[in-house]
Amino acid sequence: MIRYALTRLALLVLGLFVASALIFTTLRILPGDIAQLIAGVNSTPEQLAGIRERLGLDRPIPVQYGDWIGGVLRGDLGSSQLTGTPVVSELLQKAEVTVPLGILAFVVALLVALPFGVLAAVRRHRPDGVAVSVGAQALAAVPVVWAGMMLVVVFAVTLGWLPAQGFPRAGWSDPAAAFRALVLPAVTIGVVEGAVLLRFVRSATLQAMGQDFVRTAAAKGLTRTQALLRHGLPSVGLSVITVLGVQVAGIMVGAVVIEQLFSLPGIGRMLVEDTGNRDLVKVQGELLVLTGLVLIIGFVVDLVHRVLDPRQREAE
Amino acid sequence: MLRRTALAATALLAAGALLLSGCTGSQPAPSRSEGTPDPDATVNVRLVLEPGNLDIRETGGSALDQILIDNVYQGLIARTPDQKIVPALASDYEVSGDKLTYTFTLREGVTFHDGQPLTPQDVVWSLTQERDTPTYRDSARLANVATIAAEGQKITLTLKAPDSTLLWSLTGRAGLILKEGDKVDRKTAANGTGPFRLADWREGDSIVFERFADYWGTPSSAAEVVFSYVSDNQAALSGALAGEFDVLTGFDANLKDQVEANGDFTLEIGDSTDKGTLAFNQTSGPLADVRVRKAIRQAIDKKSIVEALGAGKTMYGPIPSLDPGYEDLSEVAPFDPEAARKLLAEAGAENLSLTLTIPSAYGTTIPQILVSNLRDVGITLKVNPVEFPTWLNDVYGNKDYELSFVLHTEARDFENWANPDYYFTYNNPEVQKLYAEAVAATDDAAAADLLKQAARIVSEDDAADWLYNGQSVLAVASDVSGMPTVNVNERLNVAELAKSEG
Repeated sequence: MIRYALTRLALLVLGLFVASALIFTTLRILPGDIAQLIAGVNSTPEQLAGIRERLGLDRPIPVQYGDWIGGVLRGDLGSSQLTGTPVVSELLQKAEVTVPLGILAFVVALLVALPFGVLAAVRRHRPDGVAVSVGAQALAAVPVVWAGMMLVVVFAVTLGWLPAQGFPRAGWSDPAAAFRALVLPAVTIGVVEGAVLLRFVRSATLQAMGQDFVRTAAAKGLTRTQALLRHGLPSVGLSVITVLGVQVAGIMVGAVVIEQLFSLPGIGRMLVEDTGNRDLVKVQGELLVLTGLVLIIGFVVDLVHRVLDPRQREAE
Repeated sequence: MLRRTALAATALLAAGALLLSGCTGSQPAPSRSEGTPDPDATVNVRLVLEPGNLDIRETGGSALDQILIDNVYQGLIARTPDQKIVPALASDYEVSGDKLTYTFTLREGVTFHDGQPLTPQDVVWSLTQERDTPTYRDSARLANVATIAAEGQKITLTLKAPDSTLLWSLTGRAGLILKEGDKVDRKTAANGTGPFRLADWREGDSIVFERFADYWGTPSSAAEVVFSYVSDNQAALSGALAGEFDVLTGFDANLKDQVEANGDFTLEIGDSTDKGTLAFNQTSGPLADVRVRKAIRQAIDKKSIVEALGAGKTMYGPIPSLDPGYEDLSEVAPFDPEAARKLLAEAGAENLSLTLTIPSAYGTTIPQILVSNLRDVGITLKVNPVEFPTWLNDVYGNKDYELSFVLHTEARDFENWANPDYYFTYNNPEVQKLYAEAVAATDDAAAADLLKQAARIVSEDDAADWLYNGQSVLAVASDVSGMPTVNVNERLNVAELAKSEG
């Protein structure tokens, strides 16, 4: 087990290094640079050169990479070239929006996927089970932006229950207002992600129902449903945990779109704006942290999976 | 594998949703509403384009000028919504008959937001530093200034040669007065003399102005103005209908019925100096032939563009109606597809295929009209939508383009037609000479007349096409008054903005 964990950890670190190089080089391929954006459309070539020099953009690319990665190893992710704000503090500030948004969205997704996924599997030959499956297919195909707009029209504009956009300037010091601001965005992401997850749950449940241990339990006198709930569900839970990493990445992508749509000052919107401003030092820091997060969640999922699933330990 | 795909998608999305920088503009013409203004009111204003940072000295883009000048920073003189020049930190000013000496009387009792007094030395320092620091964006606008000196409250500028653009320049960035030796980090904070203090900037979200209690002039009507940056018009509309915004700027006139539906908002339209400029790279290739350029201009139906936008006016030359030197030039290149086809045939340019490079933030309305109009005369137009930084790099920096579309918002920017190195690639010594004469003119009317002559030549040379003269489109709540409506992309003076009680 420890050897397994160490191997995975080594892979994680290696993955981060490769990611850092990929992030750095791909960003340098983008046309245009921050100096041009600062200088604007009435600048002279001399002004542009002056700004490039001040920002250190005239140095060779490998030197710039070395500078950055050296800082990262010392725990310094760098600062915005536009405002001088450290990447870490910006990320922490925006995380106040995006992390709760992601957690809420994930909770919504589970609330949708688990009960309905099991229902769709158990009652797959009945009209309600079929309806759930078809509904999930349709829902998973709905564009997030459209879903969000419809929710806004109904719950914000027409009913006036929830804000249509934005996040309170007071942030979480006004928890009720902050929570209300995240409800519609989280539901938007959560329902669509949940519909995707639902199909995983459904097929995992179907698989569990065919397992010997469930059938044995049923043979010993439990009803099929009881057998499934008591003995089958743990293995369904495992399948859900397996796709957790993918779900987190999915929710992040959802956040990029949804934060734009709802004008939420979160990490997704910041990434879009920083890329648009070619604030590359900031973008690469943000992407590295996000990549790290996904890799770490994947690492933890692997370990948890190993602990929870006796079959994997025995196979060792 | 799935994980990596998702991350790539994140990066792509991030790269895709870019907003234009430097390409929105504005100016004021107060709006209505009765009722007692609430002195404690917070007015929520939606803006489109957020500045990358707040360094008014170095960072380009009208997003900074739009809110920082007049509200936070001031110069000796200022411009009004109808483009008149009026005293600001100077109580009055005099210009000598030979236009070589400008004397300003500095107001007394002016304090900066941090409590320090404004001294004549601050003025001398600010202007000298601006002139002598080439990386400051508008430094060159003071190039004609030989000396800057103070004696008591009198500030005197002497010029090397007359400069009819100097006063206008002093109402802009070049003339802003800062505190000498100020330690404030201009990228994220500000210390000015205007009616508002910059209270907070939440990057990627909003900027908050607070009434400056010790302001030398009439204090602002509202206690607080919050500018929220919302790029999406649909989100802005929802926000307004849900009561989260009091004013929407940069709005879409086609959404008039929706925003006015419940009677709380009125759509307001004001003139602007926004110029929808279709640039022609005329250094080589088919566009070097003036007949081809003329044909393109005559093939494009400007009226249908204005109709599709729901706001704006047609324009047929480089100078918009708000600027000096304007003249109706519609007879130079009227819409006439038949004439266009003839010109193309004469030029031997049949079956022409051209590429339009356009920042994607401008949407698809204009490219669609262009593709269809040009197809009617036998030109195949390929549309290449790019991010704004890509446009800056390829078109602006490297002049690597055939046709380009960008909305130029700056007022009085004719100088670009007299600059052969500008991305317009237009080089006509006669225009350059007329522009130099206009700058050197000692009489405003004479200067305007010279500009008018030069503008006519630019249009007759078909140096570019002007698809429309934009208008400022705003939605203003019924309990709000004092909202400027003219050229608000470039200047948004909110000192008189008020919200009534109840």
